[in-house]
Order: sequence, then C-alpha cells, then structure tokens
Amino acid sequence: MDVSYLAAAPVILLLLGALVVLMVDVFARPPALVHAGLAAVSYIAAAGAVVGQWRRVAADGGSLSFGETVLLAEHTVALQGILLAAAALGTLAAWRMLAGLGGRTAEGVSLVLAAAAGFVLMSVSVHLVLLFIALEIGSIALYALTGIVRTSPAGGEAAVKYFLLGAFASAIFIYGGALVFAGTGEMDLLGISSFLGSTVVLRPAVILIGLGLLVVGMSFKVTAAPFHSWAPDVYQGAPAGAVGFMAAAAKVGGFAALLNILFLGFSRYQEAWADGIAVLAAVSMAAGTLLAIVQNDVRRMLAYSGVAHAGFILTGMTAGLVGMGGVLFYLAVYSVMVVGTFAAVSAVSGDPPQGPAADTFAFYRGLGRRSPWVAGILSLLLIGMSGMPLTAGFIGKFEVFRAAWNGGFRWLVIVGLLASVAAFFFYLRLIVLMYFGSDSDEENMSPAERTPASVRWALAAAATVTVGLGVFPGPLLDFLG
Amino acid sequence: MDFPILSALIILPAAAAGVIMLLPERRAEIVRPLGIVLSLLPVGLSGFLLWRFQRGEAGFQFVEQVGWIDRLGVSWHLGVDGISLLLVALTSLLVAISLGASTAVTHRLRLFIAMVLLLEAGLIGVFLSLDLFLFFVFFEVILIPMTFIIGIWGSENRVYAAVKFFLYTALGSALMLAGIISLAFIHQNQTGTLGFSYLDMLNLDLGTETQRWLFGAFALAFAIKVPIFPLHTWLPDAHVQAPTAGSVLLAGVLLKLGTYGLLRFALPLFPEAAVDFAPLMATLAVIGIIYGAAVAIVQKDLKKLVAYSSVSHLGFIVLGTFALTSQGLSGSVIQMINHGLTTGALFLLVGLLYERRHTKLIADFGGVAQGAPVLAGMFLFMAFASIGLPGLNGFVGEFLILIGSYASLPAFAIVAAAGVILAAVYLLWAYERVFTGEPSLPANREVRDLSAGEILLLAPLAAVIIFLGVYPKPALEVIEPSTRAVLERVESATDYVSPEPVTDFLLGDG
Repeated sequence: MDVSYLAAAPVILLLLGALVVLMVDVFARPPALVHAGLAAVSYIAAAGAVVGQWRRVAADGGSLSFGETVLLAEHTVALQGILLAAAALGTLAAWRMLAGLGGRTAEGVSLVLAAAAGFVLMSVSVHLVLLFIALEIGSIALYALTGIVRTSPAGGEAAVKYFLLGAFASAIFIYGGALVFAGTGEMDLLGISSFLGSTVVLRPAVILIGLGLLVVGMSFKVTAAPFHSWAPDVYQGAPAGAVGFMAAAAKVGGFAALLNILFLGFSRYQEAWADGIAVLAAVSMAAGTLLAIVQNDVRRMLAYSGVAHAGFILTGMTAGLVGMGGVLFYLAVYSVMVVGTFAAVSAVSGDPPQGPAADTFAFYRGLGRRSPWVAGILSLLLIGMSGMPLTAGFIGKFEVFRAAWNGGFRWLVIVGLLASVAAFFFYLRLIVLMYFGSDSDEENMSPAERTPASVRWALAAAATVTVGLGVFPGPLLDFLG
Repeated sequence: MDFPILSALIILPAAAAGVIMLLPERRAEIVRPLGIVLSLLPVGLSGFLLWRFQRGEAGFQFVEQVGWIDRLGVSWHLGVDGISLLLVALTSLLVAISLGASTAVTHRLRLFIAMVLLLEAGLIGVFLSLDLFLFFVFFEVILIPMTFIIGIWGSENRVYAAVKFFLYTALGSALMLAGIISLAFIHQNQTGTLGFSYLDMLNLDLGTETQRWLFGAFALAFAIKVPIFPLHTWLPDAHVQAPTAGSVLLAGVLLKLGTYGLLRFALPLFPEAAVDFAPLMATLAVIGIIYGAAVAIVQKDLKKLVAYSSVSHLGFIVLGTFALTSQGLSGSVIQMINHGLTTGALFLLVGLLYERRHTKLIADFGGVAQGAPVLAGMFLFMAFASIGLPGLNGFVGEFLILIGSYASLPAFAIVAAAGVILAAVYLLWAYERVFTGEPSLPANREVRDLSAGEILLLAPLAAVIIFLGVYPKPALEVIEPSTRAVLERVESATDYVSPEPVTDFLLGDG
C-alpha cells in the first residue's frame, strides 16, 4: 500500500479539527470564539498541506497513492484550495448564526469542517467507491447543517427534503458505478481508462448507461437542470449565512467528481459524453435563467441562478481538458461570490430571518439608502455573477465560452450568451429595487440592524476577490493552467 | 516613455469618481464644485491632445501598450487617430457641461457625479481602445453608470426606461462577444497565439462567409447602440426619462459608440461583408432618417421630439459610413461631433425649460420668447445648427454626407435630402409653438431668461458650432487621412472601387 500522508493531510487535518472542536466543547465548554479559533487553525493547517501538495506536484508532477485511489495533480490541488477558501469564508459568513446556536456552536463549526473534509476528499478521489464515501461524508454534514437551527421549521423541512433527494442521488450514483464495474471490471478511474484504451468494447451500452447515471447523480449535487429541484427549497430553508458555503461546497465537490470521471476515466468516450454534457449545460442555463426571472424570493432566485451557473460550468467542460482551467476559475469565483452574496442576504434579512417577508425582493427596496455598504457590495457581487467585465464573473464566463467555442460547441456558446443577457434581468431587478426606489417607499421599512463584523469581513473579502480577479485575472489563470 | 496621456484620460475621471465618493454626502456645496473642477481636468488633457496631435497622419498616435492578461493575449493598448480624437474631446467637453448643468440634481448628488465621471472614463476608454477585449470591457461597463443615471435621477417612468436600455444594449454586446471570441481564435489559428489586438486583427485572412457572420454580430451590437431603425425603440424611452445630464451624454456621446464602432471595426475588419451589406445598411439608414423625422414632427413632448430627431440625424451618419466614399466617411465623423454638440445643446435647453415650467409638453408653452429672449435665441441658433444652416457646423457634415452618398448611392442621397427639409419642419415648428406669439399662459410670460452661468455653459458649444461651420478645415485635416485609410483598406481588400467625388470644391486639395 503506497501511503502518502501529504495527499491525505488536508482531509486528516480537517477531520481532526472537527473532532477537536467537538471534544473541547464536551470537556471545557469554552466561549464560541474558541471554536472559531480552532476552526481557523484547522483551515490554515489544511491550506498549508495544500501548498505542500502544490510544491510536490510542481516539482514531480502528479502522483497516485493509496492503491491508485487518491490522485494529486494540478487540478485536484486547486480544487482543494477552492474548497478550503469557501469553507473558511463560509464559516465567517455564517458566524452570527453559528454563535447564536446557544450551546451548539461546536456542532455547527464541526459540521462545516466535516463537510469541507468530505468534499476535499472527493476532489482527490479517483476511485468510485472512495468517491462515494467522500460524497456521503460531505453531503451528510450538509444535510445536518441545513437543519441546524432547531427553532426554524423551514430548516427542518429543508433538511429532510435535502436528505431524501440527496440520498436518491447517491443511490443513482452508486448504481451507475455498479454498471460501470459490470461493463469494465474496474472501479478506479485510471483502471477504467486503461481498460477502455486497451479493449474494443463492441457493446458499450452498459458502460454508457453507467456513465450516464454517474453524471446524473452528480448533476443533483451541482444543481444542473433538470436535477435541481431540491435547491430552491433548501436554499430557502437553510440558515442564510451557511447557504453560500453549502452551495459552493456541493458544486465544487460535484464538479471535481465530474472532472475526474469524465476527463480521467472516460476521456476515450469524450465524443459520446460531450454532446450529453452540452445538452445538460444548455438546459441548465435556459431553465435556471428563466425560472430565476419569475422568482419573488431572493434566495430562490439565487438558487435558480446557481442552476444557470452550473450550466455555464458544464459549458466549459464540453471541450474536455482544454476547458479545465476555465472550469476551475469559474468554480473559484462562483464559490467566493455565492458565499459573499448569501452573507449579504443574511445581513439584510437577518439570520434567522426577521419575518416571513424578509427574503422577498420587496424587502430589499431602498437598501441602497438604509445600508449603503451592504447594498453596494451585494450589487457588486450580483454584477459579478451576471458576468459584467471588470469582475471575476466576466473572466469566468469568458473562459468557459472560449473553451466551448474552441471545442466546436458554438451553438452552446450562443445559448450561454443569450442566457447571460436574460440573467441580467433578475440581477438587475434586485439592484433596481435597492437603488431606484423613490424616497417615500423607503420610509416603510424598518432601519437595518447593524451588520455584524464577521459578515462585514466576509463581504469585504468577497468583494475584493470579485474585483481583484476581474481586473487582474492573469496570475490565477496561469496557476490553474 | 512620454507621459501616458491617453491612460490619464481614462484613469483621471475614474479616480475623480473615487475622490467624490469619499466626500461627505451632505456637503453639497463642496461636492458639486469639486465635481465640476475635476471634470475640467480631462477637458484640459484633451485640449492638450488636440494641440499635440499630428494632423495629416492616418495612423494611431500617442500609442500605449502594456500587457494586461498575458495568457489571453490581452493588453492595455490605447491609441488615437483622426476618427477618435474629436470624439474624445467632445466627450470631455460634454461631461463638464452636463455636470455644470445639473443644478436640478440634489438627491444623492455625490453618487450622481461619481456615475457621470465613471461614464466618462468608460466612454473615452471605448474610443481609445486598440484591443478588442479592452474595447468590449469599456463598451459593456458603460451600461452600469448610464443605467444608474437613468434609473435614479430620471423622471416618472425611469425604472422601465433604465432596464430596457440595459437589456437592449446588453443583448447586442453579447453577440459581439461571440464575434470577438471567434476572431481571437482565428487569430490563434493564423498566428499561433491568442490575441485581441485591433491592429493584428486587420491582417487576418477571413473568408467571405466568416466575414458575413462576424459583420452581422458586430453590426447588430452597434446598430442597437446607434440606434438604426428598427432597433431604436429603447431610445425615446431612455432619452425622455433620463435627467438632463443623462440625455445630453446619451445623445451626445453614447449613440456615437455605435457609429464609431461601425466605422472603426465593422468596416475595416470585415470589408467584403461591409461592401455586401452596404445597400442594406444604407436602406435602413434612410428609413431611419425619414421615419425619425416624421415621428419627430408629430411629437407633443419637446424632449421626445429632440430624441426622435436623433434617430433621423444618426441615420445620416450611418448613410455616410456605408456610402463608402471619402466624403461620406469624413462627413460621418464630423457629423458625429456636430450631432453631439447641437443635440447636446438642445437637450440642455429643453432641460432648462423644464426646470422653469415643469412641463415638456409643447402645448403648455407659447410666447416664451417674450420673457426669455436669450433662451429663445439660443434655442433657435441650436435648431439652425441642427437643421444644417450654412455657416454652422451641421451644414458641413450633412453636405459631405449627401455629396458622398450621391456619388455611390444617388437614390438614397436624394431621399435622405428630404430629411434635411423635414428637420427644418419639426424644429422650426416646435420653435414657433414654444417661443413665438403671445404668451398663452401667464407662466410663459414669466419664464426666467438664461442666467450668466447658463450662458457660460452653452457658450462653448455655440463657439465650436460656429467655428466648425465657418472653418472646418482643421477638423477635416484631422479626420480625412484616417477615413481615407479606412476606405483604402476596404478598396484593397475587395474589388470595390469608390466612385470619383462629384465635386472637390469644399475640401480643396484635401
């Protein structure tokens, strides 16, 4: 057994952090800030391990360990980095909710750590069974996180819904894995790849159906249409500060699995799956955008916009390895923007929400006056998600479109561009409400409560990244290759 | 390296916007004067640019190039030539004037001034970009400040107008982005590296079919911006709802992004397709000229009248561009400047009338000249300039366009000439109903005349209008070499030969 502690270090450190937080809570019952400190130490340690992995990969190239189940390569290292950044930023964004859990802060903090550990493991897994285990570690932590506020009935309902549909997706995934095993006799992706390379498969139907089911299972996780139906309800019911992290982590983890399965395991079937992925992308962009337009609830709007973003990322995958850099860049900027956006949502409507109407568009009316900073940064993040130039969102879209155009999927690029234009409508609508209302409208609203410092830091970080990577994307693009 | 004056022209207004936002919101007595003073700095810079520009040269001057996103072959690449020079100067002048004219804006003044300055940075950036990626960035970024200006400080229906403006133009630019991406790939296939440099793109070998698609993508984006009939429906809404400064900049500069784009990109990059599509574009232009004028005649709202007059005037510019003759192209460029000056001034005057009477309906006015002779005189002067009275700037532009298009598209030129007459109808008739006769209402008798400050705002526009009308030679010396280079490029890339000029008397030896 070829053990590489370096490859496993981020997962081990994160899980260790989760356990330490829980144990310290059992024996010492320290104030909430201690948990924050422990979490921060875990993230920094894990990030250090990721940097170590990066140096190894840069020096020696990619490497396999643990019996060809764990892959250290440029993209798996980058995915882990994105997840750690999203988790750290997400903890910050959700801190008010976590600190307000009474004696259960440690539970929340450790759940975020465990989810991060699960999806980090998912990024490096190149074996279907390990992928499945990692998926479950991450997902179960997210189900629990959804319902962590026990006083919120919506949270409980969302958690159950998320759990049931998530379990269904996992079942589909594992069934797909079984079919692939039946067709190829292999469970690890490189083994599958070499089988497909060395064997003439006369009747590939079983393998292709298996692959299709693997993709469908992951489509649930990344909220690609038509497998997105859980997202609006979960985004609506889960604690606002945590939704951003949940959205980012599930997307990055799911796309990590898709990248590894399609690009490593089934690269020889690219002609077969590229068309399928293109259709999935087009449906996601179109359905996500159109459904987002008709929403009156900000969180549901963001959930559907997340469906469209899944479509944009899938667009970048149609080209195969050429699109890898663009997909990773998009995942990085989407993660940061979505965590920041939900941090702003939690600041505006309260976490837990101030009332049943707190998440409606109408509640944002006149926000530009009430809380200029939150409104300004939220607008910036929305503009970023809409893909305006000088924000990171534009570079992300540009890169995935460039890849798809290069891969010959020009119709898909046109669909994506049209979807981007239609998407302006709902992002703009929120900005319009925040700024364009007349003065008389604004008097109806209660003054905003003071934005907690943790949320302000999260917003500042998200805004900095959105503009910074929009104006100077070069270094990160070079890094992601 | 010399002082990067072109970068300064972009960065200065953007930085000024940042400075304004740092001031305390309530101190309007500091914010407003400082905003105006800061907006004068780019005016000074563009004056310096006019002075140092080598006239008679066709190529780009003051070129700056710094790597930006090396991986994509994108660079911060700026340059100015005869086509963009005067537009840059016009932009800085109109921004300063419209900030000076915005005394009616008191609500969120700080944000307003910052948005106007950001708009200026974007507009100048569009005119100076020599990198298609950079050009697209500026082209798109402009939408945000303009949408805010319409949406926050506009009149009753502002939100609808702002969103319509945004979505319409965003749709056009999305397709242009597809065109830019595909050009970059063609660049990669032919040169081995990804790149967006305009000058390199000129050397690409594009097939006829490719050219047609790309021309379509670019021309659609620009046609929406111009706007060319039948894509003009956003324009009346946006112009009428926008605050005065917004209307001035929208008509004065923003519309020119479209005509500028056609001249700078659509023609030289896709010459074959441009020649093929020229009859279509000219037809739409002529329809726009007549349609815009006809609709302007029947308007009840003075601001709407001026807005529709823009559709008509911009039709002339498009006609001149696709006439594909030397005079036509030069006439287009100078008419872009002229329209910016005169229509900007007309919107300013309509805004001043609105501040005094709180109505824009022509029927509510009458006999205003009795109480406000200077205001009336100024309006008449601007109307004459807009109509194209000889001795004023509009004459030079329209004359060149008509001569130029008569040589290649005689029927079009004859129909378009009717637009000149219609312009006289709607503007002079409007003048008659608003200003002449006995005051219909007591309020019209008491309309306050222009203050010294307001005259000061209009005076520079009037001065330039007279100067360009009487002595257009320096302006034409700037413009001509660059437009001739565009024409030569079209001629060398296709079997198109531009017809001999009908007459040479205005240009002399050229």
